[in-house]
Amino acid sequence: MVDWRLFEPLFEFARRKSLWIVAFCTGCGGIEMPPLMTSRYDLERFGMMPNPAPRMADLFLITGYVTPKTLKRIIITYELQPDPKYVMAHGSCPLNGGVYWDAYNAIKHLDKYIPVDVIIAGCMPRPEAVMDGINKIMEMIEKGTADGWKRYKENYEYYRKNQDELFGEGWREKEARRWIPWLMDRKKEE
Amino acid sequence: MINELMIIIFAPLLAGVLAWIFDVKGIREGVAIIGAAVPLAYLIQAYQTLASQPSIQYSIVLSGFKFEFILYHLSWVFAMIAGVVGFAAVLGMVSTAKDSYEWLFALMSLTGVYGVFLADDLISFFIFWEIMTFASFMMVLKYNRKASLKYFLLSVLGAYAMLIAIGIIYAKVGAFDFTSVQRVFYQDAMRSVMGSDTLFSRNELLLIFGLFLTAFGVKAGTFPLHVWAPDAYSETNQSYTAMFSGVLSKAGVYGMLVIYILLGTRLMYEFGNIGAAPKFGYVIAFLGGITIIVGGLLAALQEDIRKLFAYSSISQIGYILVGIGVGTALSIEAAIYHAISHALFKGLFFLIVATIIHRTGKTQFKDMGGLAEKMPVTFAMAFVAILSLAGIPPLVGFASKWLIFEAVIHQNMPILGGMLFFGSAIGFVYLIRFTYAVWFGQRPTELDDTKDAPLPLAIAMGILALLNVVFGIAPGIVAGELNKIFGKEIIQGTIWELNLGFGRYNGLFITIWLVVGILIAAVIYFLGAKVRRVPVTDTYQAGNPVTMDYNLTIRRNFFLPLKETLAFWLRMSFDRLYQDIGSWVEDLAETLRHYIYNGNVQAYAWYLAAILIILALWGV
Amino acid sequence: MMVIETALKALLILLYATFVGFMFMGIIRIVTARIHRRVGPPIYQPILDTIKLLSKKSSITHGLIYDFGIIYALGATILALMFIPLGGVSILRAYGDLILITFLLEIPMLGIMFAAMSSGNPWAGLGAQRALLTLLAIQVPLGFAIVALGEFYGTFSTYQIVMAQQSMGWSITSLPLLLAAVAYDLVLQAMFGKEPFDIMIAPGEISLGPMVEFGGKHMGILQIQHAIALFAETLFFSNIFLGGAVITAFASPIINTLATLVVLLIKQTAVLMVAIFIGAIFPRFTIDQAARFYWKWPTIIAAAGAILAAL
Repeated sequence: MVDWRLFEPLFEFARRKSLWIVAFCTGCGGIEMPPLMTSRYDLERFGMMPNPAPRMADLFLITGYVTPKTLKRIIITYELQPDPKYVMAHGSCPLNGGVYWDAYNAIKHLDKYIPVDVIIAGCMPRPEAVMDGINKIMEMIEKGTADGWKRYKENYEYYRKNQDELFGEGWREKEARRWIPWLMDRKKEE
Repeated sequence: MINELMIIIFAPLLAGVLAWIFDVKGIREGVAIIGAAVPLAYLIQAYQTLASQPSIQYSIVLSGFKFEFILYHLSWVFAMIAGVVGFAAVLGMVSTAKDSYEWLFALMSLTGVYGVFLADDLISFFIFWEIMTFASFMMVLKYNRKASLKYFLLSVLGAYAMLIAIGIIYAKVGAFDFTSVQRVFYQDAMRSVMGSDTLFSRNELLLIFGLFLTAFGVKAGTFPLHVWAPDAYSETNQSYTAMFSGVLSKAGVYGMLVIYILLGTRLMYEFGNIGAAPKFGYVIAFLGGITIIVGGLLAALQEDIRKLFAYSSISQIGYILVGIGVGTALSIEAAIYHAISHALFKGLFFLIVATIIHRTGKTQFKDMGGLAEKMPVTFAMAFVAILSLAGIPPLVGFASKWLIFEAVIHQNMPILGGMLFFGSAIGFVYLIRFTYAVWFGQRPTELDDTKDAPLPLAIAMGILALLNVVFGIAPGIVAGELNKIFGKEIIQGTIWELNLGFGRYNGLFITIWLVVGILIAAVIYFLGAKVRRVPVTDTYQAGNPVTMDYNLTIRRNFFLPLKETLAFWLRMSFDRLYQDIGSWVEDLAETLRHYIYNGNVQAYAWYLAAILIILALWGV
Repeated sequence: MMVIETALKALLILLYATFVGFMFMGIIRIVTARIHRRVGPPIYQPILDTIKLLSKKSSITHGLIYDFGIIYALGATILALMFIPLGGVSILRAYGDLILITFLLEIPMLGIMFAAMSSGNPWAGLGAQRALLTLLAIQVPLGFAIVALGEFYGTFSTYQIVMAQQSMGWSITSLPLLLAAVAYDLVLQAMFGKEPFDIMIAPGEISLGPMVEFGGKHMGILQIQHAIALFAETLFFSNIFLGGAVITAFASPIINTLATLVVLLIKQTAVLMVAIFIGAIFPRFTIDQAARFYWKWPTIIAAAGAILAAL
């Protein structure tokens, strides 16, 4: 309709300076979020804001280890987010399993299932390290290398294959039929 | 010419009887539509006659009684409500009526309403009132016996009250026609001002007022006599309810206006004013205010679509009563305006409900959902109706509500003003509940092949929706007609504008700027990225996957927190009170039958002896 | 010529309102941050957020109503803005009826609710329920406050009320309207959606309630709508209770207009600050607590104001 390429630098600036976070606080990394948000480190200086709804999120934080159960939710939440979206993983667990390297029920390589833009090393990373990671992702957005959402589209078959290998075909429907009755039956007992 | 009024009144009845006799599908519908269209055509024609002369009168003498009928501006406006909404309801019934029984009584009640609106003496007023009540009772009886009996009992109460009042008036005045009655009460008022003896004493006046208020309050569904309405409105053919709620309840409103016409001056002088508003009107206005709140709150807590709209109808009638009660010329005009808009949006709503029930066969909110995709036409109509009832400019519901607000607040009535505001909010509340549960969310699989409205219903809804929009954008059309009732320019302005001197409302400007605003928003919208349509299961549920097998939309107990907040008040119920009184009476009769009228001859002999002894002791 | 002039004026008002509204949103975030002893974002942060949301490369829809509800919400907010007197420059101030504006300020919410509910998300349904019950709760004190104003001035025209205040002094200098203003200010807290009445949004509790499904340009439009609504609500309050502003001291009409806007801006900011301070220190009410609160003290205060004004 309108050629927006002229305004692309402005958009890039806005994207960089207004990262709304959906934090998937499953692991121990979740505890690093409060100091980041509050007066000690104050992420809002960079225009970042925690946001509970993935539809308006930009930055997806995976804070800690991932199990198959949470990975299902991570994938669904990731797919709900609008492009462009960025993923940042905390700590060694999503990177290579960390201390759970030999656990039967932890996901060792998160980037096999969804593309991860930045991984912060450490167990756990200090808030300073997280801030460094955020700085990194801002740089990457500026350079245009934070292209996880593009890779997910281009290599969708690869990611889909890995997901299906882990959970089996049709896992979404199966999961839906499992959790809703659980919720509803609990209600009936009241 | 001479029989014009008779044609208006009896054409529906004639059509109803014909439809009943020729019970052939196709013919009876055609006859009924003609029967409803003829009075409407005559009324439209009468508009030109009324432009040149103040009224059209007609009288017949039957076995000593003189029945008088009159068509003037006030009754024309009300008859037009009956004509338009009645016609739309009859069109709707083409799709939903099951047999000729319904046609007969639906059209008979239309005759009754026309008769009430055109009557010029108390006897014909009463007779047509009873025809209307009887016909609507028969309509309910066919669907639900209990609901119809409740309706019948309260109607009989109202009818007796009216009959006694008419009797008292006749005993003193010696005439039935409105003109003489009005004149007598006017002279009485003058006499009481002079300080000389009056024909009706203060207490008699109060009694007549109270009796009329009961009679008309029942029909209008005023608190605390509203208990019949939710059952009766819901337990009948929903297309007919469009007429029942849209038109028949207006007979009660018209009755309130008749109180003003007949007794107004006398009551005003006898009981005085508060500010510019008559004191006796305060009773009506406060009952109206309570009706708004009670009806609205109960509407929000209903689980049945028909019940929700029945209560909402009661709530909206409350606005009309407030307007009438305040009693200034402006507020009465506002009340009549709201009577028109109530008929339009409520008629539309009940036709929508009729469509939904006709197409899905469900009445409970828990069985519905996601119908907006399947019934786009009906949804569009519902959208108009919702905006109109909620009082969103520029629709007719806002214009009339605005007038009532201004009229009431300008008379310095803070408490009533607060009640009105509460009423407008509660309107939003129950409408959102209806919208969410019926139109949006996940659709139960058994509703997947629901079809849109059948043609007659769609036409009927289209007529009412169009009028909702037109009278909202050009409120001056209605205001002009209302000004004619009082013969002066109470609401000034052009056809686009209502100008009260202390407040202005312009429907055209609002429409233009709303369109401009929406265009600006649309430009921003269309400059953005292309949208991708996602199914209703693709929503965020804390990351959990969703399937259509389970319905997650909240349908039952939508306003649970409201219920909890109001728990104390909800324990009181006039419906239960009446039922308790009913069962006490029944128990009493049972006791009497058991111990006194026990069928034992010896016992009766003892009673006789006892009475004789008492009489002897008394010294007879 | 008239049309072009009106259109130009409307455009300027709209741009000004949007800009100031965004600044207000920025101020809210900064002041809240300072109360938390944080640095806070730059003041233009909401504009960046909106640009980012509008420039999202993908966007979803749940059907026609989902799109139309959003557009309708922004359109209705623009409509409401045009009716509120903005010194001497507003377009439809002759029709700026108190009750009309009160209704107009409420209807954008209806559009948002329609859009939210049409997504079929249970959170959105829950949010709609809470929003409506909040509306029901605030409507009673709000109604009494408006009634008090209408009765006190004997007119419903907002512009005439502003003019009357130029000679009689601000509304809040008279007791009945002071009571009404206190009640209205408490209502304003819920109209802004600030704590303790952010029940409808409730982030973290019901995932932003009605907003949960909006993303990309839908949310961007809602940000603009929120900015304009913030401007319009504070402007309405300043007009009816804080004397508005009509400055005619200077010779040049342009300077007069600018001075008017500055005075109004100061008053609006003051109204906003009260809301921010209350919001920053209170936690969230539950819906029945909010209803009981609003039906108790604000209602009593506002009703007292209305009754005093009627006497």
